[in-house]
Amino acid sequence: MISVHDLHKHYGQRTVLDGISLSFPERRLTSLIGPNGAGKSTLLLMIGRLLEASAGEVRLAGQPIQRIASNAYARRVATLRQATELNLRLRVEELVEFGRFPYCGGRLHADDHRAVDQAIAFLGLDSLRQRYVDELSGGQRQMALLGMTIAQETDYLLLDEPLNNLDMRHAVQIMRALRRLCDERGCTVLLVVHDINFAASYSDHIVALKAGRVHCAGSVAEVVTETRLRALYELDFAISYSARGPLCNYFNPPRDLS
Amino acid sequence: MARHAPWALVVLLSGAFVLFGADFDMTYVIPRRLLRLGAMLVGGVCVAWSAITFQTLTGNRLLTPAVMGYEALYLLLQALLVLLLGSAGVVLLGAQGNVLLAASVMFGYSWVLHRWLLREGQHNLYFLLLVGLVLTLLLGSLTQFVQLKISPGEFSLLQGVSQTSFNRVQGAQLLVSALLVGALALLNRNQLNTLDVLALGRDQARSLGVDYPRVLRQQLALIAALVAISTSLLGPTAFMGVLVANLAYRLATSYRHRLTLALGSALAIVVFLIAQLLVEHLFNYKTTVGLLINLLCGGYFLVLLTRQRSHR
Repeated sequence: MISVHDLHKHYGQRTVLDGISLSFPERRLTSLIGPNGAGKSTLLLMIGRLLEASAGEVRLAGQPIQRIASNAYARRVATLRQATELNLRLRVEELVEFGRFPYCGGRLHADDHRAVDQAIAFLGLDSLRQRYVDELSGGQRQMALLGMTIAQETDYLLLDEPLNNLDMRHAVQIMRALRRLCDERGCTVLLVVHDINFAASYSDHIVALKAGRVHCAGSVAEVVTETRLRALYELDFAISYSARGPLCNYFNPPRDLS
Repeated sequence: MARHAPWALVVLLSGAFVLFGADFDMTYVIPRRLLRLGAMLVGGVCVAWSAITFQTLTGNRLLTPAVMGYEALYLLLQALLVLLLGSAGVVLLGAQGNVLLAASVMFGYSWVLHRWLLREGQHNLYFLLLVGLVLTLLLGSLTQFVQLKISPGEFSLLQGVSQTSFNRVQGAQLLVSALLVGALALLNRNQLNTLDVLALGRDQARSLGVDYPRVLRQQLALIAALVAISTSLLGPTAFMGVLVANLAYRLATSYRHRLTLALGSALAIVVFLIAQLLVEHLFNYKTTVGLLINLLCGGYFLVLLTRQRSHR
């Protein structure tokens, strides 16, 4: 289990994270939500060891993550950053093969090829396999990057705004793939997501951050309520329920924003 | 096809360079030319290798060690040596001592750069370019300041060091340099796959288990050694690294360093050979190799800069 303990992050005078303590449920999909600048990505990147904490620590199965070697950590936790700019002449297949680097150091064995094939099949990327990454659409590229992360075969996946700039269809594809990773493979998925409706439709657990602190955390039913969302985003929410789940409407509030 | 063409060109041009108009004079002309050819081979490998690695580490295709002030630092060191020791002292220090000293100063510079590159946040390309430019200018004017303080004889010695040329190379120095480069290549063999991953960007590489700070330290130390070898062998090469690196990316049609490094080296050697052939046989030594290379590579650098801008 991943847990964070009194985590702080300061940039000079500015405090981004102000004492966060949380644990993330195993084999569940957890969404980190909150307004811009709440510290969601910072928290996620610290768990992924891409940022150092100013104080406090992150633990994986009770062990402080700084004590785990980079290579060993990469076999347990995979991180996908947002908007990776790739101006490389790289085929989708080669990109996915990078996911095996923590295991084989770049020289792929039979087991690695199996993992690459599985990741590509899992996402239905076979038709794109030989295409160059820089010729793909944004949505296809994000799928290919997710393929690399899946080929890493880790128990934990961290994704920083994976839906950024995607059209609805690709966004749904990505979220469904993450859901399946959780349900079929028992992965623990943490993602930062801005669209509250995607968070409400696909998550098991939601953590809401505001101004560097935990605003509230719990199941979708606990967090996605009109009162809590209004306090979190300072927006007027109307939530309706249907067979397909909750739908949060904040698009055209009847009153002016306070 | 495109991958092998540069090597074919290297062989062809080397043959032309060694044999053209030499009348098979084995006592003087050909041995002298072989020495120059050796300098081009070793220097070309150093220039391409250090430039491509530096670009992978910093994640952009305009920066090279030369642009970031490594060569300016070398020239300043030479000027200071002449000022402090006099020309006799520099001769006493010898080529080997000079290389060692230059290498250690560059290790220091690499270390500073590595501290700076590891800082979080600010990695704006244009900011880095500006830093490189300012550093080069600053070190350049310091060098000029020193030059004004020394005697004409010492000045001409310094002048010789500050231009690209294949004529000053000595046999022993070439041999040591070649052995060093060979040893570095052997040591670095296993790091090439890691460099491939780094091309994905440093965050993605880190989440794939690359120990970025360690790799950065090692590779910047390597770059310091390579630049020290190439500048002491043939002087500063300015924008040449940018040219060969970018041409190599284009021709390789692959991201793998195994390929881009080899191709870049071949291209660097080709540029050296063409420039030297032109100087010797077309311009009859009325122009310098450095001038030709700078003209070609500086122009290409400008093209790259404007292209990058219009892409945004």
